[in-house]
Amino acid sequence: MPAPDPLGFLRDALAGAEDAALALLGQERVRLAVTGLSRAGKTVFLTSLVANLLAAGAGLRTLPALEAASGGRLRRARVLPAGVEAVPRFDPQAHLAALAADPPRWPARTEDLSTLALTLELDRRSWFGGFLGARSVTLELLDYPGEWLLDLPMLRQSYAEWSAATLARLRRGSRAAAFAPFLEFVDALPEGAPAEDPLSRRGFALYRDGLRAARDGHGLRLLQPGRFLNPGPRGEAPLMWFFPLPRPGGGGLAELCARRYDAYLADQRAAFFEPFFRRFDRQAVLVDVLAALHQGQEAFDDTAEALAEIAAALRYGGSWLDRLTGQGVRRVALVATKADHVPARQREALAALLEDLTAAPRERALAAGAETGVHALAAIRCTEDDVATLEGRPVGAVRGVLLESGRSAKVYPGEVPMRRPGPEFWRHGRMFEMPAFRPPRLDPHGAAGVPHLGLDTLLAWLIGDLL
Amino acid sequence: MSEAPGAPPRGPRVILEEGGAPPRAAAPPPRGAEGPPAPRLDFGWERTVAPAAVARLRPGTAWSTLGLLGAGAGVLVLGLSALEAANFVAAQFARATWLGVLTLGVAGAGYGLIGAALWREVRGLAGLRSVDRARAAFARGDHATAREEALRWAAEVPAAQSVLPALRGCNDPDSLRAILEAGPLAALEAQAQALGRAAALQAFAVTAVSPSAALDALIFAWRGVRLVRQVAALHGLRPGVAGTAALLRRTLFDAATVAATDVAVDAAARALLTNPLLEKFAGEAAAGAVAARRMLRLARAASEACRIVPPR
Ligand SMILES: Nc1nc2c(ncn2[C@@H]2O[C@H](COP(=O)(O)OP(=O)(O)O)[C@@H](O)[C@H]2O)c(=O)[nH]1
Ligand SMILES: [Mg+2]
Repeated sequence: MPAPDPLGFLRDALAGAEDAALALLGQERVRLAVTGLSRAGKTVFLTSLVANLLAAGAGLRTLPALEAASGGRLRRARVLPAGVEAVPRFDPQAHLAALAADPPRWPARTEDLSTLALTLELDRRSWFGGFLGARSVTLELLDYPGEWLLDLPMLRQSYAEWSAATLARLRRGSRAAAFAPFLEFVDALPEGAPAEDPLSRRGFALYRDGLRAARDGHGLRLLQPGRFLNPGPRGEAPLMWFFPLPRPGGGGLAELCARRYDAYLADQRAAFFEPFFRRFDRQAVLVDVLAALHQGQEAFDDTAEALAEIAAALRYGGSWLDRLTGQGVRRVALVATKADHVPARQREALAALLEDLTAAPRERALAAGAETGVHALAAIRCTEDDVATLEGRPVGAVRGVLLESGRSAKVYPGEVPMRRPGPEFWRHGRMFEMPAFRPPRLDPHGAAGVPHLGLDTLLAWLIGDLL
Repeated sequence: MSEAPGAPPRGPRVILEEGGAPPRAAAPPPRGAEGPPAPRLDFGWERTVAPAAVARLRPGTAWSTLGLLGAGAGVLVLGLSALEAANFVAAQFARATWLGVLTLGVAGAGYGLIGAALWREVRGLAGLRSVDRARAAFARGDHATAREEALRWAAEVPAAQSVLPALRGCNDPDSLRAILEAGPLAALEAQAQALGRAAALQAFAVTAVSPSAALDALIFAWRGVRLVRQVAALHGLRPGVAGTAALLRRTLFDAATVAATDVAVDAAARALLTNPLLEKFAGEAAAGAVAARRMLRLARAASEACRIVPPR
């Protein structure tokens, strides 16, 4: 853990006092942290969340479970008008329009941070309070490149520690193949290699290519640093020209790499973690369980490890200092996204498998006094349940329209095990990639929300007590 | 593969279906041998989520701790003092009939006045409640409730008398809203702005001549409360003390969040402050200009908070 930072304490105390004052006035503010590795479905989740909450605020029954949990008190939902934020605004309208267009487009890879706040106006719970006018709960949302989340664990490591851990990992399993050129390069570096830019840039390029190969070729997820894979709007900068070294303690190149490592982390901390992940009240951890399962044993384990590392580095509160400043996470939901990739009968198995996969994050949240819950949902439901005949026998499948070809297809997702399967499970199945589906017919303005599976149950659990 | 005969096939796979939509004769065949793209799935979502007018849950309300405390204290003070007074009246009767009658009269008058005040408070609050109901009904497109509330409101507000027949003939929330917005609400808005301008002029003048900033603030607050009550009266609300407090809170909340009204306020303030008489002052009384703008904004926000149709 980093040394306690007195200014951070002061900031927490101020933020806590401000929140408490606002809550007294009936204007609660809730930060919902949506975490998930890249392609887990964060952007789509936020888009669906905003569209369905806005529609529910207009009186449509898009989120029945949330409506029940709030006792029907939701009166109106609106997007908080923009102030003078320096961060781009999350644009659910544009995403919805693209999803509804013909041919439809899913959101592109998220390249930058964007934020949005929704204000939910609610009837007061007490009869007297009713005369004070509506209560409001402001839900603060953030979308960001999932790759960057993996820089969080690095904040607690020095360059030497990170180098040792990373190189050890690179020499194992399929990483060794993906990183072969890079490993060859660093192993050939002499002891006191000079701090020269051609050298550092070459190492950086080889390391980055290794990260890409590991991600695209082997489905691995624990890939650091995040900005190497997704450089964001500012592109690649010299502070990224570093890479793990076998002898990280020396001078010359090693010292240069260490300096850049520190500068990189300072930059990520200031631009990303401090403003957005230092404080939050609720968290949804999104995981594409099925993809992890289909990409083989190593990818599955790697996903679990990446999630554990992130959870270990997040600040869940729970210490006396956090209680004092009114910080701390109350509820953490673990969410298996894209549940429409399996027929209804298998969704429970999906949730159970997720529970198994996220044992470490769950323990971490419980230790900090947060409640945890496991859910399976589809932010945008793209399939119908169907039956396919395989090897002469009927099996449960899902039917949807394929994104690429526009043709209708049944997909048999395989049997989803209830817990982490043994090695024989993967020996049978080859690697499989779930095809992307076309979203169903949608209203381009999203006025009626979007079809989903289980989003309401998740929200009822996650924020129902606030409404 | 050596699977047990009963086990389902392990490996996931994609099974393409032949021919998405039935081929149409006129459409040229797309590239390759593929058929035309299959139509996108349709879950009939709009119909599923349409609000069910009857099935809507009634918001559950409960008594907050503060409410219980307040109510309890009120019952104790009023109830015990009434018992005390009754005892006293009985004792006076025992002394002399005329004394008893006199005491009874005094007690009756006193409690009558208190009762009248309470009744006024309750009526004021009930008025606010009915505005809330109407706004909620409009927001969720519940025509029956919206129409009922609109009719009741229109019967009480002089500016809305003329549209009563039109409102009765309405059979969807949009036209109801359109009639209200084009007719009475627009008129009320204009009247509220006139009230706002009058208050703004006063605030400007007071700030320009008053000796102390604290006094300014006091006068501004008093004039602001009065303005909010005046605007509420336009809308058929007669808020008592609690009602005024509730209304002020809403108004201030709106004034803080509705940034869009600033444009209109700017225009009004400019029109007001370019008055040749005021121009002489305006240079030295920047604070006065600010106060005037605030009054105008307050008038707008108050009118917004009292409307029976929610802002779009
Ligand atoms: N069928 C289905 N696919 C989804 C759903 N959510 C996300 N996807 C797919 O997953 C991809 C990645 O989602 P995205 O939100 O961009 O992931 P992010 O990187 O976490 O923001 C999308 O392009 C979709 O193809 C869902 O609810 N149902
Ligand atoms: Mg994204």
